[in-house]
Amino acid sequence: MLEPQMLFVKDLEVEREGNRILRGISMQVHPGEICGVLGRNGAGKSSLAYAIMGLPQYAPRKGRIWFDGEDITEWGVTERARAGITLAWQHPARYEGILVRDYLKLSKPDAGEEDLEEALKLVQMEPFYLDRMVDKGLSGGERKRIELSSIYLMKPRLAILDEPDSGVDLLALGEVMGLFKLLASGGSSVLIITHREDVAAACDRSYLMCAGKMILEGSAAAVKRYFLSQCEPCVEQKPENTGEAALNHA
Amino acid sequence: MHNLSEEYKTLVSIAERTGGQPGSFGAEDVIYIVVHGNRILASHALPGVLIEASETGDGIDARIIVQAGTKVAKPVHLCFGHLADSGRQVIRSRIFLEEGSSAEFQAHCIFPNAIEFLHAMEGEIHLGPGSAFSYREVHVHGPEGRIDVRPVSRVRIDERAVYRGDFTLVEGRVGNLAIDIDVEAHGRRSRVEVTSKIYGKFDDFCQVRDIVRLTGAESTALIKARVVLKDRSQGKFLGLVDGAAPGARGHVDCTEVVQGEARAVASPVVQASHPEAEVTHEAAIGRIADEKIQGLMAKGLSADAAIDFVVSGLLR
Repeated sequence: MLEPQMLFVKDLEVEREGNRILRGISMQVHPGEICGVLGRNGAGKSSLAYAIMGLPQYAPRKGRIWFDGEDITEWGVTERARAGITLAWQHPARYEGILVRDYLKLSKPDAGEEDLEEALKLVQMEPFYLDRMVDKGLSGGERKRIELSSIYLMKPRLAILDEPDSGVDLLALGEVMGLFKLLASGGSSVLIITHREDVAAACDRSYLMCAGKMILEGSAAAVKRYFLSQCEPCVEQKPENTGEAALNHA
Repeated sequence: MHNLSEEYKTLVSIAERTGGQPGSFGAEDVIYIVVHGNRILASHALPGVLIEASETGDGIDARIIVQAGTKVAKPVHLCFGHLADSGRQVIRSRIFLEEGSSAEFQAHCIFPNAIEFLHAMEGEIHLGPGSAFSYREVHVHGPEGRIDVRPVSRVRIDERAVYRGDFTLVEGRVGNLAIDIDVEAHGRRSRVEVTSKIYGKFDDFCQVRDIVRLTGAESTALIKARVVLKDRSQGKFLGLVDGAAPGARGHVDCTEVVQGEARAVASPVVQASHPEAEVTHEAAIGRIADEKIQGLMAKGLSADAAIDFVVSGLLR
């Protein structure tokens, strides 16, 4: 019997400035699953996230994307977000003159003060941040954590988290990883883009990307093992034994 | 034809809705003046503050003195406006803060029906030693027509005095705006902050000219402009800080956001007439970055709502 799919990507190809940055990507994310996409810098992980979110610059030249059984390939960003997909950017934008409180309320307009404080607490931030601006006054790590708390408030059906650990200090990393599980336990599917094996370890299942292609799919442990043993330095060859993982490095 | 009480009520209600403290006009413990055209509808002063105002053919002449050591507790509310669709209003003011005094002025300039109108503010401000003066001017114009707005200020600042000027025109049509602010911080350790926030639409024309001369030793200045232009509106910004004394420090910070066919020119000019002065600048003109808009769209906002959200922050 086929497992239900929240996200299903089939033969996705994206080209930018004459370069094929996604080359026939196929993948799926199941309901309530934490799924990882691992890969080195430049593998195309963020491009995949942008394509799934529907950024026009990453519109596919080939392939389809289904979300909860619906073909969303032609949908815009807003439509996808309203259907329940969201993305936490690797480097969240700064917004001059916007209070953290107002920014968080975009994700949950009826949120009360307690909801907002709880969301900040989950990423180890104090309530006084609500009265700070989402601008240059916040560090990259603080912006990142605020972005993650906004995702938590949104309670999306699919949260795409692009390098959720980047800029986050070690002390807060545990809380950030706990947030993935909290999202999943609340019914969200989580797609984590990362190149860090400790973040990948929090996933139920992972993919490995290389040069715009998915080269491996399997348990988080198996993909991590392959990533650590074969990708640094890149060997571009089939592994001897990937356990339950299936390889496609053609 | 409006009667005076109607005019008073309308101007005050708009002023209160656009940043004025409700109940301030008419309150016993608040200094205020309400002017419709060239008619002074209401005026109230408190001990330590002298207001002399007289009606002229096209506006008023006013002299306001905050006496030495007087700390005005609540913002002084000035409400200037006209409910007609055409005409002119010229407000000439001389404001003097004597030594050690402080006051915050909130000026509401309200022209909700203006189509062909000239509104000029010609202000001379002198801040005595150790005084602090904050002047915030908010304009409310109607959604149609053009209005010529000419705020001109000449400010002179003595030692340790602080001047903060904040001009905001984000509601309704800008019309044809030419802000001209010239500040001389000649006192030692005097401080200046001049901020302009403008939202131009349709074929509005916005010109901002902010000039600060730091002639006092260790004086400081910040000129900040946030201008959003859409449709076919145009904007020109000149921000000049001249560091002309030892230890003087200044900064010019201008962001202009353009959408549609709008056009913008920004000229942050920094000048160090004295070798021990330090003046810096930053200026950015452009569309709102895709990453900002798409970041908000990923939360379910439409593209237009995302732009409005970003703009609301810039102009806050």
